[in-house]
Amino acid sequence: MRRVLPRPTGRPRSRTSLCVVAVAGVAAIALAACGSSASPTSSSTGSATSGTIVWSASPIAGAGPTDTRTVLIAAFEKAYPKIHVTLVSASTDTDTNRATLATTISGGSATPDVFMGDVIWPAQFGAHQLAVPLSKYLPASYFNRFAPGLIAGATYKGQVYGSPLFEDQGFLYYRKDLLAKYHLPVPTTWEQLESEAKEVQTKAGIKYGFVWEGDSYEGLTCDYMEYLTDAGGAVTNSSYTKATLDTPAALKAVTFMRSLITSGVTPSAVTTFQEPQAMDVFAAGQSVFLRNWDYAYSYATTPATSKLTTSQVGVAPLPTFQGMSYPGYSNIGGWNMYINPHSKHIALDLTFIKWLASTQAQDILAQKYSEIPTVESVRTSAAVIASNPVLAIVPKTRLVPRPAGTPNYPALSTAIYTNVNAILAGSVTASAGLANAQSQANTALTSTSSGGL
Amino acid sequence: MTTISSAAEQSPLVTAAPPVGRPDVNRKKLARLGWLFSAPALIFVAGVTIFPILYSVVMSLRNVTVTGSGINMTGITGANYSALVHASVYRYALGFTIVYTIITVAVELVIGTLIALVLERLTAGRGWMMALLLIPWSMITVINAELWGYIYEGTYGVLQAIFQAVGLGHPNVLGTSTPAIAGMMVADIWKTTPFVAIIVLAGLVMLPGDVYEAAEIDGASGWYTFWHITLPLLRPTLALAVMFRVLQAFGLFDLPYVLTGGGPGTATTSLAVLGYDAMFKNLDFGGGAAVATSTALLVLIGCLLLLRTFQVQVGKENT
Amino acid sequence: MRNRKRTGWRRIINGVNIATFFVVLFIGLPLYWLIVSSFKTPANIGVDPPQYFPNPLSIANYKSAFVQYDFGIYFRNSLIVTLIATALVLILGTLAGYALGRLPMRGKFPLLVAFLMISVFPEIALIAPLYILLKDLGWLDSYQALIIPYTAFNLPFAIWILRNYMLGIPKEMEETGRIDGASPLRTLWSIILPQALPGIFTASIFCFTACWTEFLMALTFNISNNFRTIPVGVSQFGTIDVTPYNTIFAACVVATVPIGILVFIFRKFVISGLTSGAVKG
Repeated sequence: MRRVLPRPTGRPRSRTSLCVVAVAGVAAIALAACGSSASPTSSSTGSATSGTIVWSASPIAGAGPTDTRTVLIAAFEKAYPKIHVTLVSASTDTDTNRATLATTISGGSATPDVFMGDVIWPAQFGAHQLAVPLSKYLPASYFNRFAPGLIAGATYKGQVYGSPLFEDQGFLYYRKDLLAKYHLPVPTTWEQLESEAKEVQTKAGIKYGFVWEGDSYEGLTCDYMEYLTDAGGAVTNSSYTKATLDTPAALKAVTFMRSLITSGVTPSAVTTFQEPQAMDVFAAGQSVFLRNWDYAYSYATTPATSKLTTSQVGVAPLPTFQGMSYPGYSNIGGWNMYINPHSKHIALDLTFIKWLASTQAQDILAQKYSEIPTVESVRTSAAVIASNPVLAIVPKTRLVPRPAGTPNYPALSTAIYTNVNAILAGSVTASAGLANAQSQANTALTSTSSGGL
Repeated sequence: MTTISSAAEQSPLVTAAPPVGRPDVNRKKLARLGWLFSAPALIFVAGVTIFPILYSVVMSLRNVTVTGSGINMTGITGANYSALVHASVYRYALGFTIVYTIITVAVELVIGTLIALVLERLTAGRGWMMALLLIPWSMITVINAELWGYIYEGTYGVLQAIFQAVGLGHPNVLGTSTPAIAGMMVADIWKTTPFVAIIVLAGLVMLPGDVYEAAEIDGASGWYTFWHITLPLLRPTLALAVMFRVLQAFGLFDLPYVLTGGGPGTATTSLAVLGYDAMFKNLDFGGGAAVATSTALLVLIGCLLLLRTFQVQVGKENT
Repeated sequence: MRNRKRTGWRRIINGVNIATFFVVLFIGLPLYWLIVSSFKTPANIGVDPPQYFPNPLSIANYKSAFVQYDFGIYFRNSLIVTLIATALVLILGTLAGYALGRLPMRGKFPLLVAFLMISVFPEIALIAPLYILLKDLGWLDSYQALIIPYTAFNLPFAIWILRNYMLGIPKEMEETGRIDGASPLRTLWSIILPQALPGIFTASIFCFTACWTEFLMALTFNISNNFRTIPVGVSQFGTIDVTPYNTIFAACVVATVPIGILVFIFRKFVISGLTSGAVKG
């Protein structure tokens, strides 16, 4: 477009220069003021007998009036009439919860006072001071009541950050009716499982032999831990300074997992399976064996969600490799209770947490909702064992935790699952994939900036 | 659109009518008015966004630790950026995101323009078509990802059932690298082509009609009209659609996060997934901010280049 | 304009209709799958071969979305936040879009690029500082916690779009207003706006959709159930172990209906550009 008049001279260039100055000014202020700190953590613990606290928890089971969280709160408020607990529902995705909690707690929010969090968070949350070290307020005798291994998993640098709420672990689910029909025993070794699966696949025309979780996500680390430990390996050394993923045991574990796919026992789509996919395949009657958590039993035997009945579904401890002692290792999942460092009601929070670790609360979780209790006495009680076939198997299982004792655990886990997934998908050979995993895991362990990229 | 000032445009449609009154006083008044009109939006946007954006940029240049007592920043360092450059997964994510953006935006541009042309000529049922078109666009992105995850699922998804029925074997879309990327592109194109279509449609509708009448009188064919008259006039609208699609495509997050988790391996890890993982999985706010800032810079440069390619001169109209 | 009347078989079988058919197929098939799956029972989600039509047909998913989960509350919150933010964006954006498109300001280009820069910055990095900002203002867990960021982040795009469509209106329009002695605001309101309706419609549809489906900010800023919006609410369907795809799809269908209705109602404003006649200079 042609200009009608020439641009006048002798004027300030434009308002843009002012804008630039303003922006620079704000930037300077921002730089100077950065390192923002929220209000200091309250040192007093507040009243221990009355008040209101906010509990953030994901949906556990049930809905509406039978919602686990609502039932637990009601029972707690009955025992402690002067304390009120407000429930804030959190996302069902644990990573989303970590994101929200990190943002809100580092932003200085005093709520939620207590939150239910993943069992792999203590080291990361402890290192970043996003949770209160419970061992500062609770005596050692409190922690003795829990099943062995659980408190070790909740400890970082000598302090315990989480109080185990309920536990979860891997189980082997199988088609009782099909194994009985072909006179096959419950497999005690992986090799036996593979051959039995193949046999039933061909004879009964079932589409798949064994489904599990092989997607590129945290669940694959859980599954892999089971094979790895069965083969006698470990992810890192005990001081978390060096990764040990490039070992014969690791190779044996991952080669077996890949062979399940190449032999046709496991569908190649398993590299996209998370729990819901594996569960849906088994519940639709399309697989002989399933590896899943403890909820799978009730999911597989409820008519609304499954085509199978209780006479068709069996549960057993996981098998191990030939030559190793049975049973195989089950990876520990589960949920702990944590306290927000900014909470103004630490005493009330402790009361609530202690109650959740009481026999009353643990019984509700076990008998009403089939969640695995964390308190040893409840785990081994006759009533609980009789209430559910899965809970009856629990004392017979052997547990292995994920290597979550380092604050850089998420990066470590990413190194494991992205490479194992690549190996399972056939995009890379087993040894090349493990070499990558080893170097990435070492980077994660030794990095100072939380493992970064 | 009649605002392009490139040499190719000798559009006879726009003649600069002389303004009423003394030219420069009028201009000053109008310019002031312009700033008055823009001020509320400017203040609103600046007030909300300047602090967070500067904060992020600053975070990317310092050692950041997230703690319960706040976000601690110390020193000034390029370590976050050097970590980016040295991380092979970042380089892959960058390449992947760029290629993904180019392909999806190009396909959406073509299909979207075609759909807009069809919509414009539709006499009956245009309202229904538009409503139908906008439904994929208005779905929550996570649910769209879950829908396509359900379609692509390797053992009970409808796609593999159709393939088997037709005899094409048993595809494992999300478990193999290239099909996973292609599948994601299809899901993305399905959802966001309506965006391009609606923008182009509104642009088409506002084109002046006398040019077409003249062309028809001259006996020009439909294709000629489209290629030589419609497209050039649509250029700013297309540029706008492409620019904002590029912007959105660079932020590709929900589809890889839900469909593949960035897998198989790291085949579908986009820049946004990488940034999210750095920030909220590893609690490395400095690294995440570095990914975000570098992404923003890249997209900005890309958009400016796009504007130049489309020969759209912004801000120089009506002068 | 192009009002070629078709006769005979060309009325049904012609390029436009064939293309329409394929477009409907392309858009409609996955939608069909979405709707159909929302009526399946959970046990039938994972069967292979998949059910092309639900058997049994079940509205249990819809019931559970509203009864089990507080979908009604989420719907209300989403509606309030989205409508107000969209209205604000339209008002502020039209003014700015008009100024940047038709008034002789200096510094348009830097301003537009500044707006672009703001659109370009990935949201994830902005969440933490925005949270701190809102917390200091005491606005967490409220409607304004979402309305204000939504308006701010959708304005740049709206301004670019509105400016683009306003540019296409012939310059003579302001002249008519000036000659008649109308103030600039009045000119804008009675002369320019009616012709920019397609652009306004486009901007409002996109703003509405962006606010309706936004997740990250709604998740972080509004934690209590009373202020939760649909995307966050849907992310909590199910439990830590089970993701109920069928209920999620049902919720999605319900969440998408308003947009379809809105578009259908306001489609006339897009078409008006064709028939009003004032567009042709």
